[in-house]
Amino acid sequence: MSSEVTLRSAVRAEWIKFRSVRSTIVGVATTFVLTIGLGAVICFAVRSRWSSAGPLRQATFDPVTTSLGGTLFAQFAVGVIGALFITSEYSSGAIRSTLAAVPARGALVVAKLVVLVSSIFLVAQIACFGAFSLGQSIFSGVVPTASLSTGPVLLSVFLGGVYLTALTTLGFALGLILRHSAACISVFTSLLLILPIVTFLLPQSWQNAFAKFEPSTLGQSMMTPTAPANSLSAGPATLLLFVYVAFALGLGVTMLKRRDA
Amino acid sequence: MIKVEHLSKRYRKTLAVDDLEFEVRPGVVTGFLGPNGSGKSTTMRIILGLDHPTSGRATIKGQKYGEIADPLHVVGALLDAKAVHPGRSARSHLRALAASNRIAFRRVDDVLEFVGISAVADKRVGEYSLGMSQRLGIAAALLGDPEVLLFDEPVNGLDPEGIRWIRELFRSLASEGRTVFVSSHLMSEMAVSADQIVVIGRGRFITQGSLESLTANAQGFVYVRSGDPAQLLRALVARGAVASPVNDGALSVSGLTTDDVGRIAFASGVTLFELTPQRASLEEVFMELTADSVEYGSPGRPGE
Ligand SMILES: Nc1ncnc2c1ncn2[C@@H]1O[C@H](COP(=O)(O)OP(=O)(O)OP(=O)(O)O)[C@@H](O)[C@H]1O
Ligand SMILES: [Mg+2]
Repeated sequence: MSSEVTLRSAVRAEWIKFRSVRSTIVGVATTFVLTIGLGAVICFAVRSRWSSAGPLRQATFDPVTTSLGGTLFAQFAVGVIGALFITSEYSSGAIRSTLAAVPARGALVVAKLVVLVSSIFLVAQIACFGAFSLGQSIFSGVVPTASLSTGPVLLSVFLGGVYLTALTTLGFALGLILRHSAACISVFTSLLLILPIVTFLLPQSWQNAFAKFEPSTLGQSMMTPTAPANSLSAGPATLLLFVYVAFALGLGVTMLKRRDA
Repeated sequence: MIKVEHLSKRYRKTLAVDDLEFEVRPGVVTGFLGPNGSGKSTTMRIILGLDHPTSGRATIKGQKYGEIADPLHVVGALLDAKAVHPGRSARSHLRALAASNRIAFRRVDDVLEFVGISAVADKRVGEYSLGMSQRLGIAAALLGDPEVLLFDEPVNGLDPEGIRWIRELFRSLASEGRTVFVSSHLMSEMAVSADQIVVIGRGRFITQGSLESLTANAQGFVYVRSGDPAQLLRALVARGAVASPVNDGALSVSGLTTDDVGRIAFASGVTLFELTPQRASLEEVFMELTADSVEYGSPGRPGE
């Protein structure tokens, strides 16, 4: 039997597993609520204070990044979805029946990735485009707006979805490495929240050198049509994020293959 | 069908399986017996390709587990009944397994029906009793209609009716020519459910054979009730027998036949009320077998 057939049936199995637990449904709903709902709240807040904002604030205002502000919170929801997709198998012990059914561990990871990445990519794109459109209509008439007919704007919104998809994959990779939901969520949170704080405590020159390479800053770079000073532009930022995720995944797969189940 | 060759497994400090070697044949129920911590579950996990052996190998029909295409069609296993995502329904759990090995969903309904949990198949598995989970585990093992079946302590948590059901299931699976390998730490369980028994202790192979051949080699004793137990005890001990009083003033004698005990009683003028040969109980046979492995290297025991 070809490995292609194995892979296709493994994908079907993982799809059934992915959609048959409440945590996925809750996670996806949370992603929508945080990206679109919280995004709208942010946009309303900006609109209501627009007239009292200083000229500098008004000049540097970016309607794209602002409308995608909810992703800053949604990134944790998608990270948890990715982590739980594998750690729940370890906590319940179901990983053993999974591996007994699909002993090719590499194929199992690919199957899980196909399911996770394609579903979250779709969810994240809908959420980001939804948040952008809603945000612009909240701004309209008072605050400057952006339009998707502009190439860089379209790219920023699209990369917002790509960022969330990359982070769900990062959560999944951490799950493969750490196996425990709680450990995974701690490390994930540390990378996205604690790391920027630690960097912020460093001398300014170090901050300028390191901050732009942090995952959360990369996300900001990806979702901005015009890169601010001391940050990468969208293309290199996306690539670097992919490198991080690929590294974590590679480590995770190696550990899955080596360790006892 | 299942072949274990020079299999060893070390977890950091513990040597869980130590140069284990045995074969499991089709057509009979083979019991896998050993005290707690003797390495039964570890051996089964290695057979299923879940744990990597430190050395040696385990094969099924000549293949390592990982080399078998669509393995659920060849091997079915129940390791831990509770090892299912608690938030998923039994039907979804089985459908996912079925999909992974290209088994028709109709088969999922069939096995659910067969183990008797159709009515609760759409409930979350987390709400199941241990007995229901056990039945789901058996349904999963039977899903691919496999020739080889492994069950790790399957009767745990089942009520008497469930235990009888599972024993009959093993018998009928074996009578269809399948290989059925069932672990337990209870000899009494093996006695009623297994035709062949593989005994291990501390990860080492001890013996393999039919229940009769294992008990035949074990030592029996003689139960004797008499008018003067103290006098008889002295006489027996003087003749080199190992005898000890039991609750009701009777004696338990080992190392002598009933004929010998009768003659000694007659010679010392003690009246006998009862003289009965006793086979060693299954648990005693098991204790004796595994005690030898635990006390590996100690001097031989009487009667050997
Ligand atoms: N993953 C593991 N890591 C470390 N030690 C382990 C692991 N699995 C088993 N062991 C050790 O290996 C030995 C054999 O354990 P195993 O579970 O295989 O025994 P068992 O015969 O199934 O026992 P029981 O009758 O209690 O189920 C034990 O000493 C156990 O502590
Ligand atoms: Mg065990």
